[in-house]
Amino acid sequence: MGSDNSLMKVMRLLQFTDSAFPVGTFSFSNGLETASFEKIVTDAATLEDFTRSQSHQAAYSDGVAALLAHRAASAGEYSQVLKIDHYLYGFKMNDESRQMSTRMGKKLAELAVRLYDNKFLKDLLEDINNNTTPAMYPVMQGVLFALAGIDEKELFCSHQYGVINMVLGAALRCVRVSHYDTQLILERLSEETESLYNEASEMQLKDMNAFYPQLDILASLHEKGNMRMFMN
Amino acid sequence: MLNAKKERLPAPEVNFDDAKEMSRFLQEPDAMYVGAPGKHGYLRMGFELDKKGKSIMRDLERRAPLIVQQELYFDEEMPEMPCVYILSSGGPNIDGDRYQQDITVKKDAFAFVSTGAATKLAEMRRNYSGLIQNLVLEDNAYLEFMPEPVIPCKNTRFISDTRLSVAETATVFYSEIFMGGRKYYKDGELFQYDVLSVCSHGERPDGRELFREKFVIDPQVENPRNLGVMGTFDVFANVIVMTPPDKAREIYDRTEVFFDKTNKIAAGITRLPNDAGLLYKVLGMEPGPVKKLVRAFCSIVRMAVKGKKVPAEFPWR
Repeated sequence: MGSDNSLMKVMRLLQFTDSAFPVGTFSFSNGLETASFEKIVTDAATLEDFTRSQSHQAAYSDGVAALLAHRAASAGEYSQVLKIDHYLYGFKMNDESRQMSTRMGKKLAELAVRLYDNKFLKDLLEDINNNTTPAMYPVMQGVLFALAGIDEKELFCSHQYGVINMVLGAALRCVRVSHYDTQLILERLSEETESLYNEASEMQLKDMNAFYPQLDILASLHEKGNMRMFMN
Repeated sequence: MLNAKKERLPAPEVNFDDAKEMSRFLQEPDAMYVGAPGKHGYLRMGFELDKKGKSIMRDLERRAPLIVQQELYFDEEMPEMPCVYILSSGGPNIDGDRYQQDITVKKDAFAFVSTGAATKLAEMRRNYSGLIQNLVLEDNAYLEFMPEPVIPCKNTRFISDTRLSVAETATVFYSEIFMGGRKYYKDGELFQYDVLSVCSHGERPDGRELFREKFVIDPQVENPRNLGVMGTFDVFANVIVMTPPDKAREIYDRTEVFFDKTNKIAAGITRLPNDAGLLYKVLGMEPGPVKKLVRAFCSIVRMAVKGKKVPAEFPWR
């Protein structure tokens, strides 16, 4: 399934990153719903701050795992992929986002097996189905991108775009902002992607870290609360 | 001349020199070298049931500056529980300090451990202060570890690694409270430290890892004032509860979560991976209200596991 066709690689990058790619990215708000309800995110400026924290949090945990999984899959190191998957699962403290990640990861693996005839992917899906490995979404992304011949920098961009766009997409439904606001925020946050990549690409599993207690508490309110515009 | 110190002790076993976030802070301190006597504290405490079934501290080893005298039985709601305050004779943690604390609670035993005062992390110019903790709980053991807050000063560099090895039937309550700094010192000193790196990981007695939480707070990299991080809050508490799933459900259901903007306090709870237990977080402005919530949460845990509440804190604490 690896391809030397450079346009084909770009097409795949767009396909895997598109919010219409059926893994369910559109149905999670990442705690924004609660942040809006609690009047912590009220306008474009606070939405930008909130989204930036989500992007940074993801970069130094999910982003690192995605890059390491990409490298492991590129080297054909199957057991290393499982190790990264377990590590990320144990590192994801928030129960709801852990569930979201495994649900999306499993969908991604199922989809990948249908798209490509590949033993690595088939073995992975089998291990997911018999509960040998949790199928964290960023790890599955890393594997798929590696096998599809897309570079790790593009993978990191796709990962960051996915996080930012998930929050901004939800914002249109629960915060008083316009499409212009969200596109401007996306533009500004994208400027930071390169420096985030430079940091994350130097990190190993043991370096992964996250300190976003406000986001954690908001996620917990969502988990225990009764606001259910989005899936949990 | 660093290589002239022939009499130097062997390198301390508490070593975080390979941690990425500490790589900027490896210079030898100006004064006493890393891990010199008095700068390398060690504490080992072992709790177990004696022949009459009383929970006692059977094992105690300590090395300066850490001091533990003996267990006391001062908990009015649970007078059968040995209580220990860890003291430090050396004042604040300074650059080049290394500490290790190992606590074992054997089968069916129980204990309460705290500190005599807040842990001050002094201003540092070279090197860092490091802490390793091993908390081991055997079957049906119970430990409340609820120290006073940690206060990081300007240019503090602190790193810790806490291993919680907990049997499936045991319960550990492990809390930490971090102040943003010396809030009322001079014009107020908040988030002026260099780095706080805190890692806690839980495992079963066979070594199977269940979860790993690590936060690195480096105000130069990410401003703690950002929305989503600390925002406008100054104090942060983190509580890990490893307990069997039925107890975890009960505690989870009884714990209130809220984001109170008027009184500037917030609390949240979530379930740890792999049925390990729960994670509770509090944000506030002053240590008092945050400590109160942590204590109230401990009371929910004690009620679920031991059927008893936690008494009110002493008025002088």
